[in-house]
Order: sequence, then C-alpha cells, then structure tokens
Amino acid sequence: MTRQRILAMFWPVLFGAVFLGLWETFVVTRDIKPYLLPKPSAIWGQFHGNFTLIRNSTRVTATNAFIGLFLGVAGGALVALVANRFRLLRELVMPLAISVAAVPIIVLVAIFNNLFSITSEVPRRLMVTLIVFFVVFLNVSKGLTQSDPTQLELMRSYGASQSTIIRKVRVPNALAYLFIALRQVAPLAVVTAFVSEYFGGTQDGLGARITQSIASSRDAAGWAYVLAACILGLVFFGVAIAIECAAAPRRSRQLS
Amino acid sequence: MTEIAVPTGQVGAAAAAVEARGAAMTFNAGRPNEVIALAPIDLTVAPGELVSLIGPSGCGKSTLLRLIANLLEPTDGSLLINGKPASQARLDGDYGMAFQQAGLFDWRTVSRNIELPLEIKGWDRTRRRARALEMLELVRLCDFADHHPWELSGGMQQRVAIARALSFEPKLLLMDEPFGALDEMTREHMQTELGRIRAATGAAVIFVTHSIPEAVFLSDRVAVMSARPGRIEAVIDVALGERTELTRGDPLFFKHVTEVREALRAGHGVGGGMEDR
Repeated sequence: MTRQRILAMFWPVLFGAVFLGLWETFVVTRDIKPYLLPKPSAIWGQFHGNFTLIRNSTRVTATNAFIGLFLGVAGGALVALVANRFRLLRELVMPLAISVAAVPIIVLVAIFNNLFSITSEVPRRLMVTLIVFFVVFLNVSKGLTQSDPTQLELMRSYGASQSTIIRKVRVPNALAYLFIALRQVAPLAVVTAFVSEYFGGTQDGLGARITQSIASSRDAAGWAYVLAACILGLVFFGVAIAIECAAAPRRSRQLS
Repeated sequence: MTEIAVPTGQVGAAAAAVEARGAAMTFNAGRPNEVIALAPIDLTVAPGELVSLIGPSGCGKSTLLRLIANLLEPTDGSLLINGKPASQARLDGDYGMAFQQAGLFDWRTVSRNIELPLEIKGWDRTRRRARALEMLELVRLCDFADHHPWELSGGMQQRVAIARALSFEPKLLLMDEPFGALDEMTREHMQTELGRIRAATGAAVIFVTHSIPEAVFLSDRVAVMSARPGRIEAVIDVALGERTELTRGDPLFFKHVTEVREALRAGHGVGGGMEDR
C-alpha cells in the first residue's frame, strides 16, 4: 500500500472512530436504555461472544445470496444475449424487466415459501435470482445495443458478418455494462437474501436471528447480527469490484 | 516462366481508384419525406491521387463517401472501386476508412486495434502482430503498441485509426473529417503526417473536410460540393507540388484557397459551415 493510499484512508477511519466514541459517550452519559440504543462496546462484546452462531447464520444468508447472485447474473446475461438476436423474446422480457424495477417483487417470496417445503432454502435463492436477473438483463441488453456507430460502420467496411460483429464489438462492449450491473447486484443479492428471511421459512439466517434477538430483548445481540449483515454486504461489494478490476481495468474508470 | 494471362478489362493502365458514373442517392424514395441527398455524380479518382470533398453541411459529401465505401447502396448509377463493383471491393478490403471519431476499441491495446481488420480477414497471429508493428512505425507510435487507446491523445488516437485503416494495404483510403475534432496545432501536424504516409504507401485518398486550407494543403484536386440536391459544383486542380510547412505561406496556396472559397460561394455555400482555418 502506498503512502498516498494510507493518507486517503486516514480521514474516513478517523471519522468512524470519532463517531463510535461519541455514540458510546452519548449512551453512557445520557443513560440510554439498551432496547433503544445499545453501546458499541456491548455490540462488539455480543459479536465476539456469539461469534460461532453469527458465523453460521452469516454462512446461511451468504450462501443464499451467492447462489441467487450466480444464477441471476448467468441467466440475465444469457437471456440478454439471446434476446438481442430474437426480437420476440426481447419484446416479451423487456417490459417485464422494466416494470420489475418499480414493483416490490420481494413479496413474491411469501408465495415461493408456499411452493416449497418449510425447511427449503430454495424460495430465498429463487427470490435473489429473480431480482438479480432483471437488473443484469437490463444492463447487458443496453450494452449489447449501444455500440459506437463508428465502430459498427468500421466493422461493416471490413466486411464483417453479424456474428463477428456480436463477438468482437457487441459482447466486449456489454461486458463493461455487466460489471457495472455486478457492482449493483452484489450488495442487492445480500439485501434480498436477508429480507427474504422475514417472510418465513427456515429461521437460521441473519435476518431471522435479528428478529429473534430483538423479540427476546437481546438488543445488543440483534445489533451484532446487523453488524455481520453490514460486513457481508461490504464483502460482496468488494469482491464484485475486485472482479471488475481484474477483468476490465480499462473501461471501469471511464464509465463510473 | 510462362506469361501470366491478364484478364480482359484490367489490360493496360491500372483501373481508376474510384469511378462514379451517375451515382445518385435518394433517401425514402417515393414517400412524403423523400430527400435527394445526391444528384447523379460523376467522379474519377486516379490511383494514388488525393481528392478532397468540401462543401456546406448537407451537401452529401459524407453520403458520397459512404456510397464509395458500399455502406450505402446508390439508388441510381454505378460505382467502381479499383475496377470492381463497390460491394466486391468492400469484401476484398480494397479500401480503408477513418472517421472523425477514431472509433478505437477501448478493450483492445493499440496494436490489437490495428490487428482487428486483419483478424476478420483471417490472418494468423504472428503475421498480424508483425504488420501492426510495421504500421505503428509508419505512424510513429512504436512505443505505444501495448497501451490502451484512452492513454493516447486525440491526435495519437487518430494516427492509430489511420494505421488500422491502412493495415491490410488498401489502395484507397476513405476519410470522413478525420482531423475535425483535433485542435489546430495537432491538425496541421496530422496533415503533414498524412502527406508523408501517403507518399510511403501510394494509396489514393478521398478526404471529406469542412476546412478550405486543409483541403488545399492536402489535395491534388478539390471537389467543391453544394447542397439541395448534393452535387459537385466545381473541381479545382491544386498545383502546389510537394507539401512542406512552407507551403502554408506560399502565395499560390492562398490563391487556391481563394479559388475554392469562390467556388463555394458560387454554389451558394456562403458561410454554410465553412471554416477558414
């Protein structure tokens, strides 16, 4: 790590430390009840004390998020590629994909829960897949159609076939959009997996543990699970960015 | 060695780089929004010759270039490129193209950008790479083979685009305002470079531009076009000999600039998008 990067991190870290310090002082001096707001030190204590349980719950939610994310990204990219060639499919899926963005489709998980056995993780994975699918589909479709007109004219001047144009121009162009989508859907997958747990089914994920802890007045423990959920979301986001940097160091800087 | 049979039709002098006979273009023919973009055009460009197309916006100069490139089909008349129909010439790689936007592929290095047309034409990897390096030498960008396009300045990107257009050694280079987006200093430098590259490759060039001095500096002949419908108003021979930086101060250079400007005025192209720089 260079000196410059350490300096860049200095202010955010200082801000975080000061924030936690003020929080702790505020709770202690004003004698705030733990069910309203627990102390950071108490939350950390719970996080440390229940680490195995937290780790296991995190693993459940993370697995659901990851499987859904993987299927959604693969499916979304694939269907976008096929829909780019077949107009009928595009006209079927596109309006659906656009309207999904405006509808809280996460409630569908309640219906999925009825379709599968009570111990099944499938409804939550399906929910994540669905949400990720449409975001990826929209972005990749955009990348496939929005190629530089100059590049397309050049390809025609070389006498390139349609399939060559797709391979050499449209797909590489869409790849940049895929990475932008990935950055967006990676944390979204965690949120979806997490929130899906509130709609019933097996109660062993992070979302379910938070509800249980709060319901049994173990507030600091509830916050410890929240902390774990935050870390999980950040890890997914970080990995998405790392993949983007490794695979496409060029475009990301220009498009974002 | 026995004598090689020469197919009839190519006997004698080499075929013209471009031969347009009554080539015309009407968009939306027969519909209410019909536009006659080009009235029948006759134009012959000799091998190795540089002809500029200059005229106000909407005079069809870019349309004419696209007809020659077979990116558009003429609605009337015929076009021969190196003695072949334009569609055949396109598939045979008889011409290279460069546009105002360099149109480089961000995900490819400079060298792999130049290799792209060669890839499509089925060249193998070693031959492609060797040619790309040759072309980079031609445009004096050897040190940038493995850089990505965004690391290059506008003028350098445009040089890569020209190298790419010439990579498969076409006898004809079609350029649509390739220096239009560059600053004045870079633009003059690129004009000199184009002269040098042309001398090295012997390619004929059709050069679309908005700039009168640019047209005069580069061309053997300047075709002055006018709009509604697009047509060639006058063709002006430029007799300046070999171009150097001194050419820009040559009284004869200014005489030709005036000549082109007056031809543009005569064609009612007064001021219409012309640049005096």
